[in-house]
Amino acid sequence: MLNSRRLALYHYWVAFAVFLPAAFLGAWQMLVRSPIPAPLADSDLYYASVTLHGTAMAYVVTTFFAMGFGYAVTATSLGRPVRGVTAAWIGFAICLIGTLMAVAAIVSGQASVLYTFYPPLFGSVWYYCGAFLLIGGSMIWVVLMVINMTAWKRDHPGEPVPLPMFAITATALLWAWAASGVEIELIGVVLPRAFGLTSEIDAGLARTLFSVTLHAIVYFWLMPAYIAFYTLVPQVAGGRLYSDTMGRLTFIMFLLFSVPVGVHHLFADPEVGSGFKFVQSFLTFLVALPTLLTVFSICASLEIAGRYRGGRGMLGWIPALPWKEPMMLAVGLSLVMLGFGGFGGLINMSYGMNMMIHNTAWVTAHFHLIFAGTVVIMYFAIAYEMWPRITGKPLRSKHLARWQLWLWFIGMIVTTFPWHVTGLMGQPRRVAFFDYTDPLLQPMVPLVIASVIGGLILFASAVLLIVILVRSQLGENALAEPLQYALAVNPPTRLPNALNSLGLWNAILLVFMLGTYGYPVAQFFFLKSAVPTYEVTGEATLPAGGQ
Amino acid sequence: MPDRDAARVDRSWSLIAWTISIGLLVISSVLGFGVLSRYQQNDPTLDLWSAICRGIGIPAGGGGSSNFEQPSPVVSTHLVWSTQTLARLRGGDVKRGEFVARNCVACHRSTQANVAQLIPKLDGMNAAAIYKQLQDYRVGDRTWGVMGALAKALTESDAVDVATYFASKASAPAYAFDSITERGFDQPDEAQRLAFVGDPKRGIASCSACHGPSAYKLGAPSLEGQDTNYIERQLTSFAQGVRRNDTFGTMRAIARQLTAEEKKALAQFYGSRAPLVARSN
Repeated sequence: MLNSRRLALYHYWVAFAVFLPAAFLGAWQMLVRSPIPAPLADSDLYYASVTLHGTAMAYVVTTFFAMGFGYAVTATSLGRPVRGVTAAWIGFAICLIGTLMAVAAIVSGQASVLYTFYPPLFGSVWYYCGAFLLIGGSMIWVVLMVINMTAWKRDHPGEPVPLPMFAITATALLWAWAASGVEIELIGVVLPRAFGLTSEIDAGLARTLFSVTLHAIVYFWLMPAYIAFYTLVPQVAGGRLYSDTMGRLTFIMFLLFSVPVGVHHLFADPEVGSGFKFVQSFLTFLVALPTLLTVFSICASLEIAGRYRGGRGMLGWIPALPWKEPMMLAVGLSLVMLGFGGFGGLINMSYGMNMMIHNTAWVTAHFHLIFAGTVVIMYFAIAYEMWPRITGKPLRSKHLARWQLWLWFIGMIVTTFPWHVTGLMGQPRRVAFFDYTDPLLQPMVPLVIASVIGGLILFASAVLLIVILVRSQLGENALAEPLQYALAVNPPTRLPNALNSLGLWNAILLVFMLGTYGYPVAQFFFLKSAVPTYEVTGEATLPAGGQ
Repeated sequence: MPDRDAARVDRSWSLIAWTISIGLLVISSVLGFGVLSRYQQNDPTLDLWSAICRGIGIPAGGGGSSNFEQPSPVVSTHLVWSTQTLARLRGGDVKRGEFVARNCVACHRSTQANVAQLIPKLDGMNAAAIYKQLQDYRVGDRTWGVMGALAKALTESDAVDVATYFASKASAPAYAFDSITERGFDQPDEAQRLAFVGDPKRGIASCSACHGPSAYKLGAPSLEGQDTNYIERQLTSFAQGVRRNDTFGTMRAIARQLTAEEKKALAQFYGSRAPLVARSN
């Protein structure tokens, strides 16, 4: 791991240290919104908790994990030290300070604006500054990924960039594009109001800019999982990657089609014209392509491995796979959740069908199944794979790790399946209390209680994860074999420029963005639709000498 | 020679990528702005150009409906919370307001309301709420006794200043997570339940979401510590449609659903709480 060990370890530990309390809050929230009496059931606390859970899981855990993973991948796949380690530590510090600022603001009850912080809801300036620093600090990581890839290419002219490095650089660039929306929103709309330079806020502009981030960020979360699918899973299974080119095309398509689609989060918003909503809905469907491509090539790679291990017949290769390996088990469970979550997503992204489930618990169920299920279970597997390489100490117990993955899978299914159903029954999301004595709501009771049980299972699994990682790290030193990435069946020797660099694709994405977001953003400059904010900071934050 | 081959491959890759991408953009735009906008609306007279404008988000110009005579809309309140309104409110002068308030305090006596005459306490009520009522009295959206005449005698800046003055007479703010136990779903009595949870079955939103202590909406007065009789009378007035200056008719819709006992209990609940707290906007 060369010089990136400590860097990766610190990033991972911040991610997991935040993950555990956030998972606890999630379980408590399930309890509050259920008919079962919950301790401290208070709506203010509930929304503070939802904000903390969302901010921690969506921004902190993912960003730190992706950054740590990026540094580890850079060092191991290029086989040389990471360039710019000092800058990387500075970025780490900025992100950490941002995180602490945001968390402090939420915990003090001054920023219960939920992680999407949609204006005109308005919270403490500390929250917005914290979010800005966290996301801004990660841009250092983006630059470092690009620098490391281009430097390697300069030193190895004509050679194909290793797939893991190519993919992590695509991830970093995707994150830069995605984050541009929320960063511009913060600088241009939210922070001027927070610092008192303006007295109103343009909610439509803010929401439209945030939508640039809101969908692409999901793919930023997803990419480390996909990188593991392509580069680690076939190796663990004992086979080879079915196609290197397919991998590259997948990551390119994710870069292209995950940003100019965010308006599908605004289908019910009046400020964007229906034509633009349709165009972005259309482009959203293209995101299904790289996902289907991935499912195909991963299954093909696994079949190669299974047959190599002696599996016979049409399906005989499946039991022949090494299911005792955490990574192998995780990919199986992950693909099951991806299947269910993906079908749910098709409903969300359809301009017409979305109206059935818009703003209901269905949406929450969907992104928990996809993100907290499909993606996070791969984060666990990546951690189990990387831990011995980073710490030099073997994973104490693969048995416990398998238990942890199974618990997470079962918990996620038990939580989200009933949640989808209550969403279809019309249960709104982001609501603290429901009157379950209402005849309309009574049929939801058993479903909601099932979700609570799922939430508790998930929390138990989160605790188990930390136990496994801590036990392994405290264990005795043993020489760990170096991280190996899967070789393709036909390893590329020479690649067209389009598959070995990302310039062309960034240019195309720019055109996509101008076409799909140009007018929807520009219109606000002549609509002048700013409104007063609705502050959620409570009485204690009255400006001194207020009226 | 291999270099030239590589260059040709690169060129064709970029040509194909650009063609497919632009093609996707064009196809989706034709479908979205042409087909969808033109054929999926309930207006068969819409021409293609107006349909495309709608798809982009520009309202189709000319509007045929304006040819028909429309009944004039019923307006609850003429006050708009615009930047200008808020800027004016922020510029209120407490000293001048104190002078103007000499006309008010004869009835709105400091913290003590005149119970028999149903006069509300104003000390610490937020400026936007007081200003809104004064404006509504000025233009006749709200009518009650002598208040219409008194409010008409005030200038715009008088109203702002006097609202600012009353708001400035606030007691110490008391917001924290400290009152957790009283805000959960399981409320001991019906009034507290209505105040903090509302009644979803009847479509009643919780009072505390706008009137405190959970949250405060722009222009909605804090009710904590307000005179009990005054609150009850206002609820009845809203329910009977005697008072009509609530924006969007929210208060009328809610008050109509409340029984007489509930109105009384809610008034008791808010009236018995710690005094008003100012909140600026």
